[in-house]
Amino acid sequence: MTTSQPPVTTEERLAGLRRAAPVLLLLLALVVASLLSAGTASTAGLRLASPDRSRVDQVRQAIGNLPDNALVLIACDADLGTYPEIRAATRVAIDDLAAHGARLAIVSFTPEGRAIAAAERDRISRGGRIEPPADLGYVAGAEAGLVRSIASIVPAGAEGAVAEAIRERGGGIGAFDMVVIVSGSDISARSWVEQVGSRLPDLPLIGIAPTFLDPELEPYLRSGQLAGLLGTLRDGIAYTEAVSAGSATSPGPTPGPLPMLIGMLAAIGALAEAAFRRLVRRRGRHLRSGRAP
Amino acid sequence: MRRSILTGIVLATGLVVLLDLMVVNPSLDDAAQAVNEVLVLLAAAAAVGGGATLVAFHARNLASGDGDSTGSIVLLVGMAAILVAGLRPGSSGSSDPAVLWLVAALLAPIAASVFALLFVFLLGAFRRGFALRVRETSLMAGAAALVLVTLLPIGGQAGEWLTTGAGWLRDVPLAGVFRGLLIGIGILVAVSAARSLLALDGDDD
Repeated sequence: MTTSQPPVTTEERLAGLRRAAPVLLLLLALVVASLLSAGTASTAGLRLASPDRSRVDQVRQAIGNLPDNALVLIACDADLGTYPEIRAATRVAIDDLAAHGARLAIVSFTPEGRAIAAAERDRISRGGRIEPPADLGYVAGAEAGLVRSIASIVPAGAEGAVAEAIRERGGGIGAFDMVVIVSGSDISARSWVEQVGSRLPDLPLIGIAPTFLDPELEPYLRSGQLAGLLGTLRDGIAYTEAVSAGSATSPGPTPGPLPMLIGMLAAIGALAEAAFRRLVRRRGRHLRSGRAP
Repeated sequence: MRRSILTGIVLATGLVVLLDLMVVNPSLDDAAQAVNEVLVLLAAAAAVGGGATLVAFHARNLASGDGDSTGSIVLLVGMAAILVAGLRPGSSGSSDPAVLWLVAALLAPIAASVFALLFVFLLGAFRRGFALRVRETSLMAGAAALVLVTLLPIGGQAGEWLTTGAGWLRDVPLAGVFRGLLIGIGILVAVSAARSLLALDGDDD
């Protein structure tokens, strides 16, 4: 079967281009803004970091209270889609813990989290500034695997000083002095509070989560079941700034306020335009029918 | 399998896990751990089974010429690439450099791009929503615009006011709705579980 389509005229092409122009201009503006404010959290009156430092102080206090040579578990179960939002805070938290002399181990309970954890370990190894966290790998079984890890989390083949230290303290999650939960997927800080917090109530749990999880995790912070929570991009940037201020190392690329502002204004503008267009159409219909709008 | 047998298994395992949470007893703890091991195995088997079913479905699509052949080929090639990189002889599994490259150079940017497209698609959905259901869409768009305004990255006193407003929106109405949903789901799950445990559901033997 053959189909003959009419040729696309120049006018149609121009009309298509006109329709796409706002999106293309927005993308261009975002690229330029990202380049202009790369690595800066504030630009001429704009500020991305949250002015409310209470959550940052809570997290820093929990890390500061760790004993010498503390064992800290990084539970990396982020989601590839939302990880860019918490990447800077996660990396800075690992640096902060290492600067406090903590011995780190990393584990994942989701395949996506494992992919991110392996990539982060690789990045730390290549950087060479700090010792990469001991690799406890991927634990299958989702929440059942999490419960199983309370008794035993070290893989049989794991070697090294940190793995041995965990084994000496019982070999389970209880061996750690703190758990930092990098959330975003199905196994989030909520799963940890429900499954681990109820069995090990004295173990401090810190959450790093993208904003969409914040309303779900906030009650656990208020009830004290989470010892700290960085649950929004602005909290994460504030934490990054606070840690970087006292450290010689750079936090790496962080989102800038200018591209965020442009994106937000574009979204508000598009919403207003759609509402206004609908209002005008409705008014026109009412006028044509002779009724009051 | 007869429903009464399933109910019996649910009743026994559920009671063991519940009692283990409430009573400190080494034998009970061992039994609960054994149940948990079975759950881990079941979850792993379900994951492998799901992957195998996906491969079989797309292989069948390709063989019969049904559906989106390009999509099926991309999916199967992608799965094969990750499996070969992680399972070939001498590979270090998920820490292998080839797997790390696939994740860092392909998977992460693709996933982030798809997520970023939500911004454009969501705005498009709002436009269509205004044409179909004005009242509901207006409410959603109004709430979205309000949240966006409070999150504007502005410095100074105005920025602090906006941040306080954003915090209130997050902590009071949003957290309230989330908490209500969670409590509702919890009650529903508890009631369903209790009905199963007490064999109150209608018997279909």
